[in-house]
Formats: sequence, C-alpha cells, structure tokens
Amino acid sequence: MPKRRHSGLDARYSRTAYLMLLPAIVFFVVFTYLPIGNLLTTSVHSGPQANEFAGLGNYSRAVSDPAVRHAFVITVIFAVATTVGALVLGLGLALLLDRPLRGRVAFRALLLVPYLTSVAIVGLLWRNILDPELGILNRLLDAVGLPEQQWLVTSPLATIIGVMLWQHAGYAMVLFLADLQGIPDVYHEAATIDGAGPVRRFRHVTLPLLAPTTLFVSIISVITGLQAFGQAYIITDGGPAGATDLYVFHVFNVAFEARDFGYSSALSFLLVVVILAATAVQLRYGRRGEVQY
Amino acid sequence: MSHKQFSRRDVLRFAGAAAVAAPFATGCGAGAPASDAGGAFTVYWNAGHGYQAYQQVIDEFQKAHGVTVNFQKYQWPDLRTRLLADFASGTVPDVVETQGAWVQEFAVSGDALSLQDYVAKDGAAMEFPDDWLPATVARNTYQDRLYGAQMHYTCSLLLYNKEMVGDTPPSTWDELLTAARELTTGDVYGIALNQDSSYAWPWLLQNGVRFYDPSSRRTLVDRDAAVEALQFQADLAHKHKVSPVPVPSTDYAGPQKLLSAKRAAMIITGPWDLKPITESSPDLDLGIAPALRQKEQATISAGASLMVPTKAARPDLSWDFIKRVTALDVERAATREAGMLMPRKSWAGLPEVQADERTKAFADGLPYAVDYLQDLGPTGKSGEIADNLFKQLYQSVVVQNTPVTEALAVFDAAAEQALAG
Repeated sequence: MPKRRHSGLDARYSRTAYLMLLPAIVFFVVFTYLPIGNLLTTSVHSGPQANEFAGLGNYSRAVSDPAVRHAFVITVIFAVATTVGALVLGLGLALLLDRPLRGRVAFRALLLVPYLTSVAIVGLLWRNILDPELGILNRLLDAVGLPEQQWLVTSPLATIIGVMLWQHAGYAMVLFLADLQGIPDVYHEAATIDGAGPVRRFRHVTLPLLAPTTLFVSIISVITGLQAFGQAYIITDGGPAGATDLYVFHVFNVAFEARDFGYSSALSFLLVVVILAATAVQLRYGRRGEVQY
Repeated sequence: MSHKQFSRRDVLRFAGAAAVAAPFATGCGAGAPASDAGGAFTVYWNAGHGYQAYQQVIDEFQKAHGVTVNFQKYQWPDLRTRLLADFASGTVPDVVETQGAWVQEFAVSGDALSLQDYVAKDGAAMEFPDDWLPATVARNTYQDRLYGAQMHYTCSLLLYNKEMVGDTPPSTWDELLTAARELTTGDVYGIALNQDSSYAWPWLLQNGVRFYDPSSRRTLVDRDAAVEALQFQADLAHKHKVSPVPVPSTDYAGPQKLLSAKRAAMIITGPWDLKPITESSPDLDLGIAPALRQKEQATISAGASLMVPTKAARPDLSWDFIKRVTALDVERAATREAGMLMPRKSWAGLPEVQADERTKAFADGLPYAVDYLQDLGPTGKSGEIADNLFKQLYQSVVVQNTPVTEALAVFDAAAEQALAG
C-alpha cells in the first residue's frame, strides 16, 4: 500500500516536472531541432527556391569545391590561432591579476568589457582604428616616427585574429582567474617544501589543476572560431580577394549572393559535423591532463 | 454565487500553457511583414533614401487607402538578405526598393511580379515609357515584360577639389595620371580609388569593356581592354602611388572622406556623396567634371527601382504606391531636398535642375551613362558574378597587385561555373 502511494506520488511529480520542462522542450524543438530538420531537408535540394531534389549532390559538390576548401582552411587557421591565443593570453592575464596588485578589480572589469560588447560594435570600432589613411593607429605610429601600416591589406587574417583575441581574451582570463583562486595554497606550500621552484610549481601543480578550465576554454574557443562571421562581415567584407573568407561568411554569401540555399544548407550541416567532431576529439584527449589531489 | 478555487496545480497548468503559447504568439508576430493583416502595408527601402518627399507620399497613401505603411529601411546588403529570406519563407513585403540588376534577377527567379498589365492600363497617364530614359526601361525589363519602375537614375563622375586641381580638370586617362602625379604630395593623394568593385566600371566602360556578351556567353569582353583598364587602376595605387591602396570593407565612403578631409584631390563617385561632402566640409570648393574618355566617354549608370514581389498580398495597392512615388512632382521634391537624379526626360529639363550647377552636371552625364549589368542581369547570375566574383577579381588586382591575367583566370573559372549552374 505505501509503495503504491509512493508510485502515485512519483508519477505526479514526474508529470509536474515534465509540465515545468515543457516550455523549454517546446522552445528547443521549435527554434533548434525543427530548423535543423529544415536545414537537412533544404540541403538535398537546389535552385533559387531550393525546390529541386538534388540528393547528396550538394554534399559531393562541397567536398570538391575549391572555394569551400579555401574558406575551411582559413577558418581552421583562425580557430586554432584564436584558441591558442585565448589560452595563452587568458592564462597570462589571469596569473598577472591573481597577484595583490593595486586596481586589479578595475583591470579585470576593463579586460572583460570587450567580451561584453557586440561583435558589430567591435568590428566597426577596429575598422575605423585600422583604416590606413584616416585611422588613429597609423596617426599614432606616424607621431612616434614609425612607418604606417596597412594591416587589412598586407595581413588581413592575422589582423582579424588579433581583433578576436582582443575581444575574447578577457573572458578566458575570468575563467582561469576563478580556477586559480580555487587552488588551495597547501598544494603550492607542499611543493615548495619538496624543493620545487616557481616554474616547476606552475608546471606540475597549477597547470594540471587548471586542466578542466583549459579544456572548457579550448572547446568554447574552437567552436566560436569555427562559427566566426562578424569579423569578416564587418571589418574586411571577406577580402582582400577572399583572404578572410571565413567559412560561415562563405556560407552566407552562397545563400544571399549566389542565392543557393540548398548548397548553403549542406555547407552549414557539414560545419555542424566538423564542430561535433572537433569537440569530441578535444573531450577525448583533453581530459588526459586532469588530476585529482 | 460560487467561486471556483484554483489549486496550486491549476495555477501551474495555466502558467505552463501560457509559457508554451508565448513563443508561438511572439514568433508569429515579430519581425514578419504584416502586409496581409490589420491594414498594414510593408515597404522595404534603402536607408539613405528616406526623404521627406517620400514620407509625404506615404502620408497621402495611408489616408487614401486606410492602411498603415510599415516603412522599413535597410542598407542594401541587409535589404537583400532580408528580402531573400522573405522569398524563402513566402511572407513578402508589398513594395521593395532595389538596386543594380535585382529586378531582372528576381524576374528570372519568378519572385518579381510583372507590371506589364498595370503599365498597359496606366502607362499613358504617367507618360510611360515616352517620358522615361530608355535605359531605365531596359534595366527593369525581362523577356519584353516590365518588372520594375525606375525611381532614381544617377551616374558617376569625377569630383575634384578646385583649389587643388584648378578650373581645368582632366578629361582623359593620361591627363588624369599627369594631374594626379603633380597633386600627390605628402599625405595628399591625387586621386582616391574606391574599395567597392562597382567603382571599377567607369574605367572599364571607358575602355570599351562590356561585362557580359550573351552571344559568346563570355564575361569581360574585349579581354585585352579589360586587362588594360584593371591594370591602369592597379598602377594608380601600386606603380604611380597617386592613390591609396583601397582597403576592403563594406564601406564605400572612404574616398569621399579623403576628399572632404582634403587628403585626396579627385574621386570618382555619384551624387549620393554630395550631401556628406557638403555637410562635412562646407568650405570645400567642389568641382564636378564630365566622365573621362579613353576609347570612349562613358560612365556607369546607377539608381534604384521599385518592384512588387510575386507573392505580395495586394498588388493593386503596390502599383498605386509605385505610381505615387514616381510621379514627376515627387521626383521634383526629392531633387530639391537631396539633389537626387531622376529617370524622367522631363525632369532633366526642369528649371531647378538646369539652375543647379551640381545637379545639372550629373544630369548631363546621364545620356552617356551605361548600365554595366544590362546583359548580365537577364542571366539571373548578376548577384554572384558582379557582387561576389568580380569583387574578388578587383581586390586581387587593385588591392593585392596580383597580375591581371592570373586573377582573371580565377575569375573566369568561377564565372563559367556560375553561368553554367
């Protein structure tokens, strides 16, 4: 008898729980899973209205398309560079601001501001700063007697990587800083007693304990890098001559310049597959460095 | 009188149902053109063309038809993105302002409504096509049927700083190069090329190049002339160093800003830059010269047309809106307000057009202005070839100084694929 009452209660709790979850479930179905289903359907069609069945034609075309290959390679370079940069800069800044410096709270806030700013505003800001004729950066170089530069012409990809790092390094810094402050001092004290210097303590105590955060930052950075769009759209328009034709920007142009929604849907789905694969690989190998003391 | 008591579970049920319903309700209403509900009439417009003259038309249109005009303004790239998304979803605006060869592109794809029947009925009253420059009819026609009505019709000319250039501006490429060399000193350039690839076309047209030859299905013919025109522009920036190297971006106002800042003596642009120049540097003694001549005197025509999507809910209302906006007195008001050029022949003869030195200079350029997309438009591929592939070619040559033949080989392969698809 009591068992039955429990079972009835469980069922009622379950119903209530599902009822409470229903809005979230409906939201994800309507705004995430149905569009993904629609994307898959569209990806096997072609034509301006995406109404001619093309089978897997769009996928085989994507594999042999040199423009797609070019965009993919550029995007991988972008994602790897921004990920490595975010890890190095984020950790470096966190180590710097983990010390008892005056005004460190203000520095932390200042470093986080770019991350909280919209990519459109960041793009417009840097586009104006980097303008070789009217931008402030060349005026500053000129004022101190250095030669003026044409970053967006001579090294456009490196430039937008730099802008991306400027925007995102603060976020990585906050994550690393939180983790650094969670490491008990006793580990460092024990290592010091055992004769470890600062470098060995950093390498054998701090870094292993930061492994979960490092993994998280690298996964988020790779995904953000592979999905980057605004930097190419706003700062360089993909130029010059496709030098910053990031994958999602390329997909956007296939859809809205060439008006090939079927092909752009196939390209989008392939990106989802690449992101899932990259994340799986990172999870598989990234956990190896984790330790428990 | 009995009052039903709501249990906590009832409240949760209502809350859950409301939460589920909310996304549907907002999803149906937000952002979608509401042309088929509540008397709303949706118009997509270029953000730079929101003149008071058109607002007055909208006010009268609302009063006449009892509708509320939902006047949405976008930059051209955003307008195209929004419109293509609308075509895909089937929920379209009632009237759209378009540029370039969009009307023909959308006629080919079946997304633009033919206005032929409306013109057959009302053409005489609006003096169409007799009072309209022939090019403005041709660029809105596909397979002998009209799909758009020209609203603005402009061209690009040589704008220069009279204090620097003097009263005799260059009229040929050689003269321009000579003048630019003399004027390039310190941080001042003789000329500023635009990063927008459409600004390459006055040079190409002056050298007799056509974008597309329908008979041979080849692009950029005559090829030698195209190579020469592209190389000349690259040389201005890289060999002679009389122009800054254009910086790729979505902003085409760079040269205008340099002219306004007196850092460039000459630029090639259209009347859309007059207002920013006047506002940012009222002391600039601005001159407007006729287009340059190489093999021929030529420049690009530009401008905006109005079209009605095929799935528009009330095409009769859409046509009435177009008639009102393209009326001569509205054109006149827009010219007075913004100096914009118009497609009617009678507009060019108006006293205010003839009396205004700047407007007249551009009006005088219209007879030899060429729609460089006129043969490419009917292929339905102008979006990909002109906006995407040619942009890459131009940037490769003029920005990166890649040998023209090398860059053309890449362009040819991609353009052939686009035309075949």
